Amino acid sequence: MIQDHLDIQLIAIVTAVACALPGVFLVLRRMTLMSDAISHAILPGIVIAFFLTESLSSPLLILAAAGTGVLTVVFVELLQRTKLVKEDAAIGLTFPALFSIGVILISRFAGNVHLDMDAVLLGELAYAHLNRLEVFGYNLGPVSLYVMGTILLLNLAFILLFYKELKLSTFDASLAAALGFAPTLIHYGLMTLVSVTTVGAFDAVGSILVVALIAGPPATAYLITNRLSLMLTLSAVIGSVNAVSGYWLAYLFDVSIAGSIATMTLLMFGLVFLVVPSRGLIAIARRRTRQRWEFAQTMLVIHLFNHEGLPEAEAESEIAHLHEHLRWDPAFATQVVKYALNNRYVSQEETLLTLTERGRSVAQQALVQ
Amino acid sequence: MANLSILIHLDYTLMIVAIGAALLGAVSGSLGTYAVLRRQSLLGDAISHAALPGIAIAFLLTGSKTPLILVLGAALAGWLGTLLILSIVRLTRIKYDSALGIVLSTFFGFGLVLHTLIQRTGNANQAGLDTFLFGQAATILESDVWTIGILGGIAIIIMLVFWKELKLLVFDEGFAASLGFPIRVLDILLTSLLVVAIVLGLQAVGAVLMSAMLVAPAVAARQWTNKLSVMMFLAACFGALAGVSGTIISSSASRIPTGPTIVLCATVVVGFSIAFALNRGLLWDWIRHQRNKQSLKVATDRLLKQPQRGSE
Amino acid sequence: MQASEAKAIEVTDLTVAYQDQPVLWDIDLDVPPSVLLAIVGPNGAGKTTLIKAILGLVRPAAGNVLIYGKPYEAQRRIVGYVPQRGSVDWDFPTNVLDVVMMGRYGALGWVRRPGKQERELAMHALEKVGMDAYTNRQISQLSGGQQQRVFLARALVQDATIYLMDEPFQGVDATTERAIVTLLQEFREKGKTVVVVHHDLQTVTDYFDWVMLLNIRRIASGPVDETFTPENLRTTYGGRVAFITK
Repeated sequence: MIQDHLDIQLIAIVTAVACALPGVFLVLRRMTLMSDAISHAILPGIVIAFFLTESLSSPLLILAAAGTGVLTVVFVELLQRTKLVKEDAAIGLTFPALFSIGVILISRFAGNVHLDMDAVLLGELAYAHLNRLEVFGYNLGPVSLYVMGTILLLNLAFILLFYKELKLSTFDASLAAALGFAPTLIHYGLMTLVSVTTVGAFDAVGSILVVALIAGPPATAYLITNRLSLMLTLSAVIGSVNAVSGYWLAYLFDVSIAGSIATMTLLMFGLVFLVVPSRGLIAIARRRTRQRWEFAQTMLVIHLFNHEGLPEAEAESEIAHLHEHLRWDPAFATQVVKYALNNRYVSQEETLLTLTERGRSVAQQALVQ
Repeated sequence: MANLSILIHLDYTLMIVAIGAALLGAVSGSLGTYAVLRRQSLLGDAISHAALPGIAIAFLLTGSKTPLILVLGAALAGWLGTLLILSIVRLTRIKYDSALGIVLSTFFGFGLVLHTLIQRTGNANQAGLDTFLFGQAATILESDVWTIGILGGIAIIIMLVFWKELKLLVFDEGFAASLGFPIRVLDILLTSLLVVAIVLGLQAVGAVLMSAMLVAPAVAARQWTNKLSVMMFLAACFGALAGVSGTIISSSASRIPTGPTIVLCATVVVGFSIAFALNRGLLWDWIRHQRNKQSLKVATDRLLKQPQRGSE
Repeated sequence: MQASEAKAIEVTDLTVAYQDQPVLWDIDLDVPPSVLLAIVGPNGAGKTTLIKAILGLVRPAAGNVLIYGKPYEAQRRIVGYVPQRGSVDWDFPTNVLDVVMMGRYGALGWVRRPGKQERELAMHALEKVGMDAYTNRQISQLSGGQQQRVFLARALVQDATIYLMDEPFQGVDATTERAIVTLLQEFREKGKTVVVVHHDLQTVTDYFDWVMLLNIRRIASGPVDETFTPENLRTTYGGRVAFITK
């Protein structure tokens, strides 16, 4: 029993990390939807290979599916190159067509073999560990752990090996090309990896939820950091946390494991989105209120500064008329004047405001920035 | 002639299914036109996946399987998903594609969780999820045809009434705003119509293939015309054609699911249009290219010959 | 606020910020009727934003805009707008005539469709900009200059008193440039006011009679011969520190 828990969580973590690593580059290259397309479009490749090998974890199947995945990318790019179809429409045309072929193949010919649509679309993590690798009668653990583990190592190796090239071609493709780094090759390498990873993850989470694993953790990490290396690490960590917490959520409520991992991915993204310092929703809201007052004071001093020494200056600096000129709510205007007086940006003579030396320098600074 | 004899031999059930599929194809084809023009082709994909938790919650709350209630739940969830995508893009540096991918997959995952929850209470049958994923074109009843016809008809009538405003919104938003048209309201209206088309279309082809029903007819139609009204009309026709032909083909042999067949029919129409459409099509382009090359060759030959003759 | 009726456009204390970043600081601008005004300034100076703020397309953080003494909402009918050419998708399935007729949509109001009268107005406008031979041309087949002239024709059918144009000279051919200039002069003779976001400093004195120098705040505005001075230009473009000493 405990072994089951461990096995499933281990598979979930390895799958999540394997998906998150190439996912980082997809998110940064604005190609997330390509992974959605690939994960659906590889179905015919899987089906045909399955007919030939009658196994869902044979290397041939992974190769065939990866080939179909790359073919999808080629199709989308060819369609775009005709200039008759925009990129989004090209993706939206290609993957449903290939997926449809896969579905028809399955229902037409696969009635008697074990390959049902639910497994392909939704995965079944709860059973993923049942198929175990046995060598000379020794139980060496679940097969899918070995498959995903290999894919994870492959992804890791590719990223470590081509880190510089990936980084450059992601942030400046033309420079990468000029330096002879062959961004097209890197691009197709990445797409092959995504295809391979997607096939591997099929068993566990199916083709729809794999997108959550690929896009979720990197996007969450992107809210936290700017640095590519940190983003990769964080994505892996966040992916693992989502996987484990999703597993226990599913165990607690007895619901789909893959579904709850996806749900945790959304919650995690939402949580980080809310609380992350500097870029989170709360931080933005707090900064906005603070800046609103600062901004209003700056606006006030600039207003006075612009009209200083001009004939209309008197009319423009009358406290009672400020809200008319700046179109402020009178109560807001009073409060801003109060703050500005406190900060000694302005001084008040009867009903007129004049800039202090300090206020003037604030205005000047704001204008040169 | 062969087609005619097939049509005559259509039995009543098949006829109803074909009419339903044609109506759905027409509705999603015409409304998909705007989605394609606004480069929101994949928004349909997200909305259709995001609809699952809405359907589940509507069922959990009301315990009813009335299509209208489930459709309402689906529409609300689809709407919420769209809103979330737009908020993520506006408030963070996450780009549109990632926001769309996250909402699509995680909403769907949450729907899956709810679905297993419902299943466990023994209230629903497994068929529910398959229906959502692949549609149930084969089980369309006469009453469904009326629902599709009325709701889809209303959506199309609204679109036609505000034709001028929606066209301006899609072509030149800033100019529309300067004329005083409330672009936010129009934007919401257009997205709502798209949600209606998607939620209805789920019945025919299901969530996974819905984006094809929005995109394919419109992309095919775009190749034949440079006029929005004609494009929309053609897209409706292509959508209906795909619906009918898909239904008939899938009924003619055993174990060919209807939804994917409809999508493949639509794809064939796209392929044909891209290859052979007048003026824009690839074949046309190739002929023009050859002709240009020919005339260029004639011209250069003539140019080259003159100095040769002079040098002799 | 007296005599504001005499001003075609009156901008007072206008501040616009995108999120927390101010784009325009406390802008004052008076545009008298029947002048051709060029707004010039470096990239990111807020020229487009100023036009959009005048049109009510962006909400100002502070300040006020009046068109002949009334807010923009009340004066919409008398204001015409020519957006940047690059702001629309020229692959949209429509033809030249249709785009030009869009200029009448405001006057038509909700739901009503353009008819024969709108068609005639559009044809007339196309003749004026020398595009009458292209009436049924698909818009993606036009050159940059031709696209610009289509936009001008669309503004023409708006039959406005005030025109706001965002970089109409950007990347156009000589024919189009001449056509625009002729049109601008015609507008001025008819007592119309035109505000143009302009990039080419060399032509300011030839094409315009008023100029506004803008760089987040207004550096100067007024008749070209008084305002378009090397000193003001230096303040706008170069030594940004120079103006602080006033």
